[in-house]
Amino acid sequence: METNVTRPMKGRDRVLAALRREPVDRTPVCNPTSVATVELMDLVDAPFPDANRDPELMARLAATGYTELGFDTIMPVFTIIQESSALGCKIQWEQKDNWPTVKMREPIWEDVDDIGLPPDFLTHQDTKCVLDAISLLKKEYGDEVAIIGKTMGPWSLGYHCFGVEPFLLMSLDDPGKTHLALDRMKEATVEFGIAQIEAGADALTLPDHATGDLVSGEYYRRFLRDLHIELAERIPIPLIMHICGRTVDRMGYIAETGFAAFHYDSKNKPQESMEAVDGRISLVGNINNPETLFARGPEEVGQEVCQNLEHGIHMVGPECAVPLQASIENLKAIPQAVKDWHRTHAA
Amino acid sequence: MAELNDIANDFLKDEIEEFIERPEERTRIINAFARATPDMQEISAALIDGDNGTVDTLTRKALDEGIEALEVMDDGLINGMSVVGIKFRENFIFVPEVLACARAMKAGMAHIEPILSASGIQPVGTVIMGTVKGDLHDIGKNLCIMMLRGAGFVVHDLGVDTSEDEFMDAVEEHEAPLLGMSALLTTTMPNMGKTIDAFIDNDMREDVKIMVGGASVTQEFADDMGADGTAADAVGCVELAQRLLEELKQEQDG
Repeated sequence: METNVTRPMKGRDRVLAALRREPVDRTPVCNPTSVATVELMDLVDAPFPDANRDPELMARLAATGYTELGFDTIMPVFTIIQESSALGCKIQWEQKDNWPTVKMREPIWEDVDDIGLPPDFLTHQDTKCVLDAISLLKKEYGDEVAIIGKTMGPWSLGYHCFGVEPFLLMSLDDPGKTHLALDRMKEATVEFGIAQIEAGADALTLPDHATGDLVSGEYYRRFLRDLHIELAERIPIPLIMHICGRTVDRMGYIAETGFAAFHYDSKNKPQESMEAVDGRISLVGNINNPETLFARGPEEVGQEVCQNLEHGIHMVGPECAVPLQASIENLKAIPQAVKDWHRTHAA
Repeated sequence: MAELNDIANDFLKDEIEEFIERPEERTRIINAFARATPDMQEISAALIDGDNGTVDTLTRKALDEGIEALEVMDDGLINGMSVVGIKFRENFIFVPEVLACARAMKAGMAHIEPILSASGIQPVGTVIMGTVKGDLHDIGKNLCIMMLRGAGFVVHDLGVDTSEDEFMDAVEEHEAPLLGMSALLTTTMPNMGKTIDAFIDNDMREDVKIMVGGASVTQEFADDMGADGTAADAVGCVELAQRLLEELKQEQDG
């Protein structure tokens, strides 16, 4: 990562430059998924589940990523359920200390012909909430910090709407039908993505969970690479692909899509990941959530930040949505460690 | 000790040659297939291939011809599933392929289970499985259940979002010596510890061995919660269940 810009950059400019793999004054700190925690909810009185359904609460909680933690991005979409809810999936909304989740055991679609975007897809409470929150954040912080939205990819929507097991079995039993299903579901990805751009998003996270824990790298190439190329062409903004788990065997394919960045998990080492993408895409990550941010202290967080910086990772942040019980102290250790590392290496 | 050429079925020989790398597993699997008749080997091959229609047909045919249900299950279905588990653990196949193999196993077991339960044959062991309260993720748990059933365990699946009381009631009702709990989210992982505490509070902890699992569950976390063990994958879950069952028997005998 080239950091030879001497004038201080604003967070927004820093992130957008890193997404283009251009020089920055220091490595940006960014979480393309979520930094919401119970402590932050209490701090600004914006608790789950309401902060996922009320745009003002959503914006207030999201802004803490910048105002309290010192990250260079604000990301208001804390979950992966917003558009699935608008598509008709049932949601278990849970309480302040747990994530809302799609009830995937109660799928809404069985066949390709069932797939369709409801007329109120973008005016449904749970999609409109995101659009309104982005507008609020753009107005308040848009000049200083990068506002990142999120639109789910068709593979993830397939899990939600067909159920994980039926969808994966369909991919094996009838690949042609699966391609058709993905082709139809991707319209939800594009529509919601473009609406967020119009609302003011600077970049979009695009989670599409074709993880190594479930499917092979070859599966990614067969079902998703070309489709992701199309998404990168149709959504005119930097896109950050997010896939949890072991993904190094598909990073080479992901790097061919035209996406600006890949948000990678701690199951992949920084060095092997940098080698896999070979300068064709930025990498964001990969501070471990369950062991480091959740269960250890600022010192261990700082050590993982430095490992990423040593290997030239373009943007540093948690590997995925941070645990709701993670401490503010641990999260603040990320930007602090980045600044300290650059100060040491500039000297 | 049998050799690869003692196996009649060419598909099985190719599978062993290509995918079974650990010497002890290779020996065990070659011995198991060499002991099986060509008809049973054919069932194993169809199962490994994920061909539920053929497994269904061959299982029914074997039973109609008077072959014992236990032999079909052990030499046909379970032998096949042991290869599937190893291929999955070693990343030669992934979840879609495992789901297809489990579907084939289920097709065969649909013929075998009624016979076994009518004849009163005891299973390898009984396991209660469920995803803890507040968590709706179940693919990992379901893979473990598929592998446990593939190894001859009877599994009662409590599904997702399972409360402490539901776990305790199920262990009591089925007199299960083993319990497996799953959680994917960091927010719900502590509920595994709370459930273990509930077993202690209700004087039920001594009667059951408890396994915990999930993408973020480490050995350290499992130890802290007071679980009896954790495993990194579904094959490890079966090995853990077998080990814990043996430990429990030794404790009860001793």
